[in-house]
Parts: sequence; C-alpha cells; structure tokens
Amino acid sequence: MKSSVIGSRVVREDAWGKVFGQTKFPADVNLPGQIYAVVIRSPHPHAKVLGINSEKAMSLEGVVTVLTAKDVPNNSHGVLFRDQPVLAEYVRMVGDPVAVVGAETEEIARAAAKLVVVEYEVLPAVFDPEEAMTPAVLPLHPNLRPTNVLYHMPIRRGNMEEGWAKADIVIEKEYSTQHVDHAFLQPEAVLAYVDERGHMVVQTATQYAHYDRGEIAHALGLRFSQVQVKTLAVGGAFGGREDISLQIIAALMARYTLRPVKMENTREESFYSHSKRHPMKMYYKTGATKDGKLVALEAKIIGDAGAYASWSINVLRKSAVHASGPYVIPNVSIDSYAVFTNNPYAGAMRGFGAAQTVLAYESQMDLLARKIGISPLEIRLRNHFKVGSTTATGQVLTGSVPLDQCLAKIAPYLERGGDSQ
Amino acid sequence: MKKRGIGLGCSWYGTGYGNGFPDVSSAFVEIHDDGSATVLTGAVDVGQGSNSIFAQIVAEELGLESQDICVYSGDTDATPDSGTTAATRQTYNTGNAVLKAVRQAKSSLLDYAAHKFSCPTTEGIELKNGSIGVKGDPSRQMPLADMVFQARLAGERFISAESSTARSTPVDPETGQGAPYWPYAFGCQSAEVEVDTETGMVRVLKVVAVHDVGKALNPTQVEGQIAGGVTQGIGFALLEELELHEGKIKNPALSSYLIPTALDVPNIEALYVEDAECTGPFGAKGLGEPAMLPTVAAIINAIDDAVGVRITSLPATPEKILQALAEKKRGGEC
Repeated sequence: MKSSVIGSRVVREDAWGKVFGQTKFPADVNLPGQIYAVVIRSPHPHAKVLGINSEKAMSLEGVVTVLTAKDVPNNSHGVLFRDQPVLAEYVRMVGDPVAVVGAETEEIARAAAKLVVVEYEVLPAVFDPEEAMTPAVLPLHPNLRPTNVLYHMPIRRGNMEEGWAKADIVIEKEYSTQHVDHAFLQPEAVLAYVDERGHMVVQTATQYAHYDRGEIAHALGLRFSQVQVKTLAVGGAFGGREDISLQIIAALMARYTLRPVKMENTREESFYSHSKRHPMKMYYKTGATKDGKLVALEAKIIGDAGAYASWSINVLRKSAVHASGPYVIPNVSIDSYAVFTNNPYAGAMRGFGAAQTVLAYESQMDLLARKIGISPLEIRLRNHFKVGSTTATGQVLTGSVPLDQCLAKIAPYLERGGDSQ
Repeated sequence: MKKRGIGLGCSWYGTGYGNGFPDVSSAFVEIHDDGSATVLTGAVDVGQGSNSIFAQIVAEELGLESQDICVYSGDTDATPDSGTTAATRQTYNTGNAVLKAVRQAKSSLLDYAAHKFSCPTTEGIELKNGSIGVKGDPSRQMPLADMVFQARLAGERFISAESSTARSTPVDPETGQGAPYWPYAFGCQSAEVEVDTETGMVRVLKVVAVHDVGKALNPTQVEGQIAGGVTQGIGFALLEELELHEGKIKNPALSSYLIPTALDVPNIEALYVEDAECTGPFGAKGLGEPAMLPTVAAIINAIDDAVGVRITSLPATPEKILQALAEKKRGGEC
C-alpha cells in the first residue's frame, strides 16, 4: 500500500497553541456579566441532610443565589445507573455536593459557601469492602442491589482438581493496590450559559461531550437539541473526566440566574469531584508444572467501588477477563467483585481494572520461574498467547497476537546490570 | 548500599467497550472546492492526539497533506456522537468511522472524475499530491481543487456521513465464557531500578517498552503515549496513594499526593511491533491504556531482582521496602 502520510511523524496541529500558551482551556474562557459558583460538599461519609440554612450566605453582598437538591428538576446522573445525585439530600461519601452558591465574584462565592449551614444526621459508614460485603452491613444503594455487592463475575474454565493435580509448583499470595487519583494537570472548570436561542451551552473539558449533553438535559428536563456541550482543550483526562463533575451544577445555576456561570475547581475540590482508580485486593493461587507450563489459576478480586456505581461493573469485569495475564491456563476459576463502600467513588482510570491485575499475575510469574529454576523471560515464552490460543473466557485469539515479537524485541535488554555504590 | 536489578512485565488489554455493548463511532467528511477537507467527529481529543490521527487518515485517502485537513471535534451542535475517549478506542473505532466516511466521499469523487476523464472504471483514477487523474496518463490530470469546483458547478458535492461499529459478545454470567473484547493489544516492558538498602528508596534508571500497535499511524504519537504511560506506571508503582481517614482524603494536594516529576522519569526507550490488525484503520490498534500496564510489574519484579524482597502492596514505598528487607534479614519468607 502506498503510504506517505500514514506512518509519518506529522506534527500535531494543537502543538503550537500549547507551546505558545494560546490554547484555551475551560478555565481561560469568560463572558461579560458572568457569576461564579462554588459547591458546598459534605464533610461526612454517610449522612442525611436534615436542613440547609442559606440565610447568612444570602445576606452577604454579591451573593446571587444558593441552590440545593430541591432546585434540581431530575436530581440524578451516572454512567451505568443514575445513582449519583446532582445535589445530595442523602450523602454517601465525603465530598458529595449538597449545595451551590452563585455570586458576583469567586471570592464572594467562596466566602458565602462557608456561611451556608448544613445540618446532617450522621450515619454509620463502612470503608472496608470485605466488611461491606457481609450481609450484616446495610446496603448503600438498596434500590440497585440488596447488599453492597454491586457486581460479581465468575469465570470457570476446565477442571480445577485436575489442574492442581498437574501442578508441581503452586504459588499462593495476596496482592493489593491503592486508591489512585488521575491528577490531571487541569482541574475541572466550566462555563455555562443560556444563549440567544434559549439553549443551554456548556463549555468544558470532558472525554465525551455527547454523554455530558444527555446528563445535563436529563437533570434539567431539557431536550438534547436544547443543550450544546462544547469541548475546549482538555488538560489530561485518564478516565477522570468520564463521569459528570461540575457540568450539571453550572448549567443548573445558569438556568436559575440566566447569567453566564463560571466554575473552577481548586486542586482540593478536584480531588473530591471525580472518580478514583479502584483499590483491589487480589488473592492469587497459580500452579505450574516443573517444566514451567501454567496449569491452574484460582483468583479472587475485590474492588472497592466506593459510594457510587460509576463504571465499576465494567471495571471489575475487565479485571476478571484479564486476570490470567496474557497466558494460556487451561484450568481457571476467577471471581471478581465490585463492592459499595463510603469511600470516594471509583470509576474509569487508564487501564480500567486491567492495570491492577498486572501486579498479581506478573509477580506470580516471577515467583513461579524462580521456584522452577528458569528465567522470567523463559516462563513467559513457555506460556504466552499466540494466534489460536484460548483465553480464560474461552475466546480464541485470531488475528494480531504479536506478544512473541514484543518479547523477542525486549530480550536483549534483560541482561543483568551490576551493583553500583 | 545501592543495588540494581532488572524486571520484566507483560500485559494484555482488550480494547473497546466490550461485552457486547455496541461500540459505535461516527464521522462527517466534506471535501471543499479548493481541495482541502473537513472532518467532523464527536471524538474528543483529550491530549492524546486523535485529531491528528484523523487528519492523517483523511489526508492519506485523498492524496493530501495533514495540514490540508481540518478536524473539528467534541461539539454536540456540530459533530456526530463518536463515543467516549476511553477504552483505547478512538484511533481504532473513530479512526474506522473517519476512514469509512472519507472513502464514501471519495467514492463519489472518483465516480465523477472517472466520468470526466472518460475512464471506464474508478479503478483507474488516483489521488496524489493534491491532484486527481488517470493513473499513468499525465495528460489526464488536474488539481483536486479544480475537479471539486467543477463538480460543484455541475451540482455535485462530496460529503459523507458514516458510522463504524466494533462488535464483541457478552460473557455468560455464570461461567464468564465468551469473547468480550476485540482487538487485544499486547506489550512488555523492562525496568532497571536501583534500590537503596539503607533508605528503601527506589530509583528507576531505565524503562524499555515494546508495544503492539498493529500499525504506528504516527510514530511520534506512539512514543508520546508510551512515555506518558510509563510515567503514570511509575507513579502507580512507587508514589501515588490517596490517604483516606474515614472516607476523607488526607492528601488532596500535589504537595502530598505525589506524582512523578521530571526527576523521577528515567530514560524511556519506546519500541513497537507492527503486526497489522486487519479490522483496524490501516492495521492500527489503540495504545492509550496498554502503554501504562506493564510498568508496575517490571518495577516490582526489578526490586525483587535487586534486593530479594517481594512487594505485594502498592505503592512500593521506602517504608514497605525497608520493612521487607528487615523481615528478610530476620529470615522471614518474602
């Protein structure tokens, strides 16, 4: 195939603007007459909002309005289930938004936010997913699930008894990963306004403008055709801009005040207004023959979904599907779970559930290789997927499966270096 | 004492929404009267460079340069829905939609040109260096702009709207059996680390990354994705951890939630393997997420290679390494 542009090192069109500082991120756009909105977030991980007194805040000069749950036409959003409130009356995590203040300047809005008095009834909270799974713990989303187990995915393949019988070496270990933040460089920012057509226009940085449009339209009771989401330059996303953060709240404020509304998170607010990478507990038992062939894997993976479902079902599904690593294992029993807790909600992040399991399956490979007495490269060469291999889910890999070529390319780099002083 | 080790990590990654959920991307293409073209797509470029990739795809098909193509994306009043920029899907999925769309617009252009050039089939027409003409016949060539402009005067426009859907099957809920993703992207990385046995500090000296990309549509962007992925992988392996107390974040600041700085990022050698994925645009698969996956394993395995301790909980902080070294000294199992 003639191929001149494809495969060439074309310079990105956005490179110049970014290098010269001309690129407009959402924090950079403003409109005359805009007000600023600041969110009041719950300090409690699990609570009922009994009352919100905004009298003192409203008496501050320059405050335009304070909006709460009762002001939201359809008070919910969420990627898989609309289980997340726009403004909460029932709090499931620290940082849940309970009210929003609009004011003439950001300083006034921030000062007013401190004057809004929220009365909570604090409820018992659960932070350990394994504890949250037990039937004794009350479910956080009784409308979705009778217990806190949001999702369980089993994978069963082959015969475990036969697998263990063939295993000369068995390695059993527990692995765990942490809550990780996307820590994108540009905190969330939005400019929302009602334009001359009467349409709601929301300018923001998102991973999916059309999804945002649907959620804004739903929450405000508008048609898709009445909402325009325009994506400005995105300062990093990594999965942290999939769920709604400030978009609906800004649009809500614009709708009530008919003023352009600007919102911009501080870094601290940013930490509270997007998802996290699922911490996972991974119990692994892997068996191999003495000549280094994998014969059995039993794995249990528990992911902390936190307070809302977000993408947890898809994330823990991906963990289960990828739990074997890129290796042929004929006998497999995998169980993965997504569990609600009162921790910050977990959702999409680069790797999406398949990032955590790498720690477990690749550690197991090295530990097996050592016991068998072969090199880390060798055990992988003896087990990796090729064209025609069958995965733990029974999928036959056809087409492009060039892990052998990748390993051949890296092999020369695996020679040991010496100790330094 | 400072000790060095090398570790290897492999990974795989099923791209796309997966599990039977229709993965649809859409694109509109218009070829303008001056021989340039515009692509409209909902696919948001989050900094990874998808807009450049779409420009390259259209330029390649029309015999133009990338700078002849305007890509406008992520505006719901102007662009069609192309799904989310996630799941390592934009180069593959929206790339396929853009390719389908430009080929559709190109197909009417070729029909028109074949007729103009009295060529019996469109097979004989080629688009090259901004010109359109009959292959091998320099007397029957003209600038693409002239052809498109003449076509307009004849009432013909070269515009298109296309969608591309990637398909997967849902897994059985009882057994997990099924074909939940396609394509899968593979990769491996090696890390060389230096562990200070007195402080427990780990310094990553070098990472070599080899990733399966199907076809590198833009090698610079492949290297960029790998550099970013490895850096994020280093953060995941060694530094980043949200500290929670009863659900409250104790370190919601970049001074206490540590991400890698330039000083933490080693020399990264970014290599790739091109083994065409026949369902991808020009044989390409996505690389966004796969680029970060093997790093954590390569580093954890390298730490063990260096000092003989197995870290099983992330991040591998100096405290955990010192504790593991102390346990090893006491003769405990590591």
